[in-house]
Parts: sequence; structure tokens; C-alpha cells
Amino acid sequence: MKMDLDTDMDVEVESPPLDEEEKAVGGRSDVERRMRERIERTERRAAICDRIATVVIWGLALFGLGILAFIIGTILVRGLTTALTPGFVFGKPEAIREGGGIWPMIVSSFYLALLTIAIAIPLGVGAAIYMAEFAREGWVTRVVRFGADSLSTVPSVVFGIFGMVLFVIYFGLGYSLLAGALTLALLNLPMVMRTTEEALKAVPCSYREASMGLGATRWETVKKVLLPSAMPGITTGAVLTIGRIVGESAAVIYTVGIFIRKVPTSPLSPAAPMAANIWHTYTEGALVSDWMRVANGEAAFLLLVVLVLNLLARLAANRFQKRLGAVK
Amino acid sequence: MQGAIGREWIVKKVLFVLAMMTVLGIVLIIFFVAKESVPALTDVGLGNLFSSTWQPKTGQYGILVFITGTLATTAGGLILGAPLAIGSAIFLTQMAPRRARSIVTRGVELLAGVPSIVLGWLGFTVMVPWIRDLTNSPGTGVLAASILLGIMIIPTITTIAIDALEAVPKSHQEASLAMGATRWQTIRRVQVPAAKSGLLVAIILGMGRAIGETMAVALVIGPASSFPSSLTSPTHTLTTKILIEMGESTGVQRSALFVMGLVLLLIAMALIITIRLVSRERKVAAR
Repeated sequence: MKMDLDTDMDVEVESPPLDEEEKAVGGRSDVERRMRERIERTERRAAICDRIATVVIWGLALFGLGILAFIIGTILVRGLTTALTPGFVFGKPEAIREGGGIWPMIVSSFYLALLTIAIAIPLGVGAAIYMAEFAREGWVTRVVRFGADSLSTVPSVVFGIFGMVLFVIYFGLGYSLLAGALTLALLNLPMVMRTTEEALKAVPCSYREASMGLGATRWETVKKVLLPSAMPGITTGAVLTIGRIVGESAAVIYTVGIFIRKVPTSPLSPAAPMAANIWHTYTEGALVSDWMRVANGEAAFLLLVVLVLNLLARLAANRFQKRLGAVK
Repeated sequence: MQGAIGREWIVKKVLFVLAMMTVLGIVLIIFFVAKESVPALTDVGLGNLFSSTWQPKTGQYGILVFITGTLATTAGGLILGAPLAIGSAIFLTQMAPRRARSIVTRGVELLAGVPSIVLGWLGFTVMVPWIRDLTNSPGTGVLAASILLGIMIIPTITTIAIDALEAVPKSHQEASLAMGATRWQTIRRVQVPAAKSGLLVAIILGMGRAIGETMAVALVIGPASSFPSSLTSPTHTLTTKILIEMGESTGVQRSALFVMGLVLLLIAMALIITIRLVSRERKVAAR
């Protein structure tokens, strides 16, 4: 087909336009007329293919959007219409009776996110600074990158059983917010590193040159120039990470816990983040007659939280772009 | 000045240690998962572990069913999700008007944020009943899991495929269009082949995502520990079996679950190495 196209084109370029007389007899020769027809056929076919492909690709993209709208719409509408009332959001969970709320789970998710971020940000940002500003390309950067890539491919349930063995049992933390936070910090380390590195790389080189030109050391440059300029980028990454922490359940179930009645009070308390509690509600469902309502409401609330976090991340990202854009 | 240089040295060392935490992390994970699986590996033996009957009560710890489940759901997810994801990437990089592009990009980001347990819950309450009614079967199983996985891997594949397609020099596209090729001919014969290895990496990462996914699959696949008789009858994958039995198992059974974790780790490592090889090839080709 490709060959066809090439020869056809050659012929067309070489042949001069027909004059009046030739048009009257219908073309210079039979051969040329056939050539011409072939060109037209090929071009028509290409045009049709192009149109079909365009329709198909548009269709795929719209179909994807449709699925997303269906997912978000169904979860939110169902949750909002059947479950989400102040009494449910701020209420106490019930293990056997119906009418339970999810307040301790909301607080658990919040504390878990806070604690995880408190561990993951210093680690991840520090590592990213090293990779972007201090390290020379070599075996160290290769090994670190391999470590980060590996961590980000490990399934979250494997993080869960690892956290259970190391933090819950070996360190003796028990099912607790802290054990979960340590596990999740490791799980999210690659993401924090990547977003921070990208934010640092987006800072123009002239900033570094200006700062070092004034006699600042590398660390002073990082601390006083690069980190402040990269802060919105780092914040975006942190907010997205919080979204992932709140939505994570497989790594949480065997490190933090899945059901509590009272709000957790210390990092060493067991807790039940929303995502893990939905799993509990699903598995122990039959115990409470309105378990579907609880899970519907919790899923909707969880999704709302994640959507708001995404929105915040987007706002922070826009601000970041505007700020760097103003300099260039 | 002396102080500043000393401080600089200390800072560099501290940051170095922080960077090495990724390495320490992966080493610890491999070490502890391997350590916990030793009892099963030595007491039960590989022959038993890689057989197809999982019956801890009678001392049979075959994990082949779950490996099959993982492979089947991953393949299903890729078949359903990859065309959609690559198509979206082509749409976003080649066809979309500005407005549509920002909407679809936002959509992909949102989809990436939907927690897997939420998607699983929706699958369990809406999709499984549909499948049950349509096919007159239990409804849970490889088909339901594949559909959810197909949705979940879209953001992973699309994001990386976009990078790959955008990395193709603009001049390739211009040259092709100037030769009289249509937009679709340009995409199919020039841009997709040029971005081939990047697209491959995208699909491999999507595969990794599908293999590791736990919660969404757990709600729509079980409960059964045998090979499924059809696409719509229950079975389990490696991840879901670990999730469901870890809480209530002890001794050798628990250790066998860690063997499954080890298998997952090995698959993850193999994927990483494959990606390395593919992207190295890409760098060489670009030179």
C-alpha cells in the first residue's frame, strides 16, 4: 500500500496538466487514466480511513469520560441521597445495631494522612534535593532511582504485609496509626521524590547561578532560593500524596486496623481509616442490617475528600506555573 | 567560611542518607517477605507450592490457581483498558481541540484519584449484579475484575503514552503531513512507530498496576480457591488471596501467603528490569 502511494505520486508530479484537446478525448492515454483513477481511489480510501479513525479515537476518549462520569455520579448521588447526613458524618459507628456513623473513621484518615506526610515529606524532599542538586550522575543516582522505581512497583498489599511484620510485630507498635504511617511513608516515598525533583528542575538555572554568583553555598542556595521557588510544586505533590494516602486500603488493613468505636487519641492507637473501614463493612456486612447504607455513605464521603484534594492540587499547580512563568 | 564548608559536607551526607532510604526500603521489603516465606518454602516444598490445589486443612498449598487468576485478570484488564488508554493519549496529543484536551486531561487525573476500594464497591454493588443477570452466573470472577482493572490502568498508561508521543519530534509529523499523508496515516505510520518503546513502557507499567491491584479486584472476584469454570465464576488472584486470608491464618498457611507476596515482588522486579531494557534500547535508537 505504501509502495502504491509512492509511485502514484511520482506519476502525478511528472505529468503536465491536460490541454483542451486532450480533455476533449478524455485523457492522454488509457494508462494515464487508469493511474489517475488509482490515485483518486487511494486518496479517497486514505481520507475515509482518516475520518473513521478520527471518529473512533474521539469515541474512545468520550467513552472514557462517560465511564468516569458514571463512576463519580453514581457514587456521589447514591451516597448523598441515602446516607450523607450530619448524623452519619459526625455519628458513632455501630457494630451490631443500625444507624451508625463514621466520625472516628474520618478522624483516622485525617490523622493517618498527617502522620504519613510528616514522615514522607522530610524523607522524600531531602532525597529529591540530593538527587537534583548534589548528586553527580553515577552509581549512586542509578541505585537510588532503581530503588525508587522498585518501591513504586511493589503492590500495596505487599507493603501491607511487610508493614505488619516489621512495624506491627517486630517493632511492637501493634495495629496503630504510626505503624500504618511508616508503611505508607515508604509506599509514597517515590511519589514525593518525583514531584519534588520535578519542581526543583522547573526552577530556572539563572536562579542557581545568581545565588552562587553572590557567594552562597549550594545548601544556602537550596534553602533560600530553590526551595521557596519550588514550594508550590512540592505542595502540589504533597496534596496529591494525601489523596493517595486517604484512598489507600490494602496497605492499611493489616497495619492500622479496620474498625473502631472511638476516635483515636495517640499515634499508637489502633484506628480505622475510611478506605479500610469500607472493606470491613463489606466483609462483616451481614452483622449490621444497614451495612449497604454505611458503605455507600463512606464511599461517597471518601470520594468527595479525594476530589477536593485534587482540586486543591490543581490550584497549587496553577499558582506554581504562574509564578515561574512571570520570571521567564 | 570554614564552618560553612563543614556544614555543607554534613548536609550533603545527611541528604545522601535520605536518598538511600529508597534502597533500604526495597531491601527491607524483600528481606522480610522472603524471611516469612522460608517456613513454607522449606516445610511444604516447591512441588506442593506450585501445584493447583489450595487446601490448607489437608496440607495442600498450591498457588497456581492464584497465579493464573492474576495473569488472567491482568490480561483481561490490558485487553479492555490499553486500547482506551492509548486511544485517549492519541486523542490528547494529536486530535483534541484545546477545550476538549483540558477536559479529558482533567478526567484522567480524576480517574487516577478514585480510590480502588470505591471503584471496587461500585463494581460489587452495580456491575456484578448486571453480569449476574446477563449471564445467569455468580457474576463475580475474571470478567468483572478485568473490567475494573481496565478502567484503573487507564491513567497510568495514558499519562506515560502522552509523554512518549510528545517526545516524537514535531518535524516528523510536519514532514509526513507535507508529503500528503493524512493525519491518521501520520499517526499510524510515523508517530506511533517512533514512540513504540515509550508506549511499550506505558503498557508494562499498566500491567504492573493491574498485577498489584488488590481492593477493587477483591470485591468482585471471589470467593473460591479453584480454577474458575468460566469468566463469570469466582476465583482469586495472588493479591486478593493474601488480603483475605492473612488475618486469620497462622503457621505454614501464613507463610505460604508470604510466598505469594514473594512471587508478586519477583514479578514487579522483572517488570522494572524489562522497562530498563526497553528504555535503554530507546536511548540507543535515539542516538
